[in-house]
Amino acid sequence: MILAPVEYCRPDTVDEAVEALNSSPDARALAGGQSLINVLKMRAAAVDLLVDISRLEELKGIVRHDDGTLEIGAGVTYAELAESDLLGGDPRAIAEVAADTVDPQVRHRGTIGGNVCHADPINNFPPLMVALGATMHVVGPDGAARDIPAEEFFTGFFTTAVEDGELLKSITVPALADGTAVGYVDLEIGEAAARAVAVVRTEDDQIAEAKLVIGCLPVPTRRPEVEAALVGTAVTEAAVAEATAAAADGVEPLSDADATAEYRKAVIPVVAKRAVLAAAKGGHRG
Amino acid sequence: MTAPTRVETPRWTGQNYPRKEDRRLLTGQGRYVDDRGMIRQGYAHFVRSPYAHARIVSIDTSKLENMTGVYCTLVGEEVKEMTDPLFQIAPPPGGNMVEYLMAVDKVRYQGEPVAVVLAETRELARDAADLVEVKYEPLPPVTDAIAAQEPDAPILHDEVGTNVSWQGTYEYGDIDWALSEADHVVKIDKLHFHRFSSTPIECFGVVVNWDRGTDTIEVISNNQMPMFGAMMIAPSLRIGIDRFEFVSQDIGGGFGIKINLYKQTGVLALLSRKAGRPVKWVETRTEHHLDGGHGNERWFLDIEVPVMADGTILGVKARAIDDAGAYLHYEPLGAVIWSQVLPGCYKMRHFRIDYSQSLTNKCPTVPNRGYSRMQHLWMLERIVDVVAHELGFDPVEIRKRNYVQPEDYPYETPNGCVYDSGNLPLSLDKALELVDYPKWRERQKEAEGTTKRIGIGIGSTLDSGTNNFGQSRIINRELPFSGNGEAAICKLDLYGEVSVALGTTPQGQGHETTAAQVVADILGITPEEVTVIPGFDQARNSYVGFSGTYASQFAVTGINAVIGAANKLKAEMVELAALVLGASEEEIELAEGHARVIGDPERAIPFIGLANMVYTNNAELPTEVAERISLNCRHVYVPPFDPPDPDRKYGNLTLTYASQIHVAVVEVDTETGKVEVLDYAAVDDCGTRINPQIVEGQVHGAAAHGIAAALREEMRYDEDGQLLNANFLYYHAPSAADMPHIKTDWVESPSPFTGTGAKGMGEGGGAPLHAICSAIQDALGTDVPIVADSFNPPERVYRLLHGEGLGAGRGVEVVAKGGS
Repeated sequence: MILAPVEYCRPDTVDEAVEALNSSPDARALAGGQSLINVLKMRAAAVDLLVDISRLEELKGIVRHDDGTLEIGAGVTYAELAESDLLGGDPRAIAEVAADTVDPQVRHRGTIGGNVCHADPINNFPPLMVALGATMHVVGPDGAARDIPAEEFFTGFFTTAVEDGELLKSITVPALADGTAVGYVDLEIGEAAARAVAVVRTEDDQIAEAKLVIGCLPVPTRRPEVEAALVGTAVTEAAVAEATAAAADGVEPLSDADATAEYRKAVIPVVAKRAVLAAAKGGHRG
Repeated sequence: MTAPTRVETPRWTGQNYPRKEDRRLLTGQGRYVDDRGMIRQGYAHFVRSPYAHARIVSIDTSKLENMTGVYCTLVGEEVKEMTDPLFQIAPPPGGNMVEYLMAVDKVRYQGEPVAVVLAETRELARDAADLVEVKYEPLPPVTDAIAAQEPDAPILHDEVGTNVSWQGTYEYGDIDWALSEADHVVKIDKLHFHRFSSTPIECFGVVVNWDRGTDTIEVISNNQMPMFGAMMIAPSLRIGIDRFEFVSQDIGGGFGIKINLYKQTGVLALLSRKAGRPVKWVETRTEHHLDGGHGNERWFLDIEVPVMADGTILGVKARAIDDAGAYLHYEPLGAVIWSQVLPGCYKMRHFRIDYSQSLTNKCPTVPNRGYSRMQHLWMLERIVDVVAHELGFDPVEIRKRNYVQPEDYPYETPNGCVYDSGNLPLSLDKALELVDYPKWRERQKEAEGTTKRIGIGIGSTLDSGTNNFGQSRIINRELPFSGNGEAAICKLDLYGEVSVALGTTPQGQGHETTAAQVVADILGITPEEVTVIPGFDQARNSYVGFSGTYASQFAVTGINAVIGAANKLKAEMVELAALVLGASEEEIELAEGHARVIGDPERAIPFIGLANMVYTNNAELPTEVAERISLNCRHVYVPPFDPPDPDRKYGNLTLTYASQIHVAVVEVDTETGKVEVLDYAAVDDCGTRINPQIVEGQVHGAAAHGIAAALREEMRYDEDGQLLNANFLYYHAPSAADMPHIKTDWVESPSPFTGTGAKGMGEGGGAPLHAICSAIQDALGTDVPIVADSFNPPERVYRLLHGEGLGAGRGVEVVAKGGS
């Protein structure tokens, strides 16, 4: 294909991969390549070394810990997430979102680690990870390791808290409390144009606890005021609509060929409402 | 006129014979241009303008001069020295345009080539192209076809002196009388048909060698109308047509866009001559989006529609402003081609369409599935729908009232076109039945007041096929074109094999199958026993100037050429058999691979015996017969046309009119404006079908293209003339999963003009655009502005729901007259 010339290596261990990533400031980790290769084709990033981490066993695997916490290796593909028995129960939103990601070819190459580290505003997993309260485990040179809450992980348009020379190793996702479910709703215009993820616990047809994250923004954004307004709300369309009406206040969506920022602001409360209702009704899609 | 013989009891024609080409195409054994190459070839990469409008100050290729593996470069100034400007179809002022094969002095759209680099590998060519330093002086661009006609607009081509490349008035009947006599006049401010492309999955590709020894140019490419390309570039290259050998085998979709592959071919031929080696070039998707060619964008302004109290629509008055982009590629033929379907499916008799075409700083437009008629037909369907909604007529009844009726055929339109056959009311009934229309009207009522409104829309459209190229004289009376035609060669080979060579350059339409079906019936063999030579090769001599597959014509021009050639071969075989079997020609039949005496099967000679007599045993034959019979029969089919009258803009512009009636049921999410297709039906009438399954495949393809164009696809330029979605990440071509289930049915109204009863088909006239706009209108009702744009992504529908349309107010006004 028509990439600029680039070096390539395929280390055997995470330590070696980190070492390689530290050998050049313009080194980049290559996992499934579903985003990075496109970036390189457009020559939109200066990369001089590709460190292929796609075959690292240490990045594979989905484990359910005793406390119910789920640990997902950064190199797990969407297809593996979609098919995992461990995700059949809680939170199944991860498997469903993975299963809905584009087409089988992409699902068998693309990885959850690549998805969150690329941090394209339209990527599926960033707002979901924030909503689920995930923790990102990052390793660096000389055995350094950092745990970063998802909410602090996404720092800007296509940027994350992973620094040069570091590598995302795995993601842990806490178990959902009883009575809690996830709603994940997007408005697609070819690609997702607006997205909301809600994690809601209901008691007696009322919302007892709610988390709301808006996606398709430069950074997945929690809406604490809306979350507070939702608590105590009846699970009816009218009541939820009222509570989510402010979902777009202060956010700054992007304009592109598909939709203007103005329009996106207008429909964010709609997807927010639908995500909350979907979660409150125990489903995933609204 | 050639009158093809119809086989009385066809065994194969009309059957769903499995496509002969599918074995290779579906098992990855097709041979496309990128599968081809030549020894010693280099790879070309174009340097393209990042600006929509700029003066080229300088081009510096010095960094490439000593680069290992870089063979040569070519810039616009060199092209100018070596060639003449391209022939222009337009009369002045558009015809004054000086257009070379590559940009000289100025660039006029983003992506326009300014230089080309030849290197040892594709990658090196691409990297080396990055080192070509081009200095530009940006100029203000004009991207809006209406603004382009303003007096202070930047001029694209100084020698043209205006951005209006062509204009003319099409006036028939008496529209002023109709407007004064009508009970109502419906006025629509503005309609806009958007810019999109059918985006063939295979981009352009050329392998070309300008052979210094023979001074001939071999071109392996995926040009879908290669002899048009040859006619365009040969004079520019200062050579004869006989210097070319255009070749193709399999082509990954064309849809008209691949008619546009001629300037690149000419530049690459020059590059090959300069480098002294073959050149290979395969376009990337982004290059194709920027430079391959787009469908025509068109504005319709100040529309006035006279309507009688009973719903009879008398005609249309409107201004049309077409947007051709930066150059006239095949244009301004589109400025007359729409008039093939002047009244659409309707018996309207009074028209005044003031048509003009603007040059803008955008990619040149080219024929694209439904070319130029689709835009006009969409306007007519919007008009019928708006009239129905504004005046309270039932959208089904108003169409049936105004349709050309089954007993009216052959129906002469106000501009002299002859609609050959059809049954529009029956087609509409069938389409409504397929979706269970009463059920959806019930569901629509149930959905009232909710956020998920339902709308049902109708798209009535015509697919005019087999152009009379004489219509080009309505654009430019100096043009030496009229009629149409196609060639085919049918041959009995040395050991009795039957082969057919086409001129049609197929792009997936199944020509090998349908040609084999009709030949099998004529020669009494099976389609399996007929070899239709894949693709096109100029050296086979099976072509005329109009050869190619475009404008819905193969079933008429291609098939009738094949039938004519097979009939000629049959006549020779029968004559030989009569001679050798001692019978009269009337007594001979061809059956089961033999020529035999009817009723006396013992007196027979196999095809191999007939071939032997001519090819390898001719001393046995009378000299007169041996010199006359070749068993290698070429036939040119010529459809029955007279040149139109350019003064009156009047004449029969196309031979056949297939019709498509589509019905779409949509759900509009009023909170987001998103439109979902809930049900979809397409009823096609293309006369007698040679292979119904192939017809149905075309119906599906045209429906998918149209549905996607209506809801997903727009070539979106910003005000600086930058294309915002020049790849498949941002330009949302559909996959099968994005399509609704398409229900199909058919009506067969044989054409009286084609011998076989078949009509050209495949373009589909943009029926889904009409049907989906109509359905959205139906869902939104009359409280909001009219659906005035052919492209309706969620934001546009959302804005309509919130009162923002294209025109002032609701964009429509009804004037009641005469106390009605």
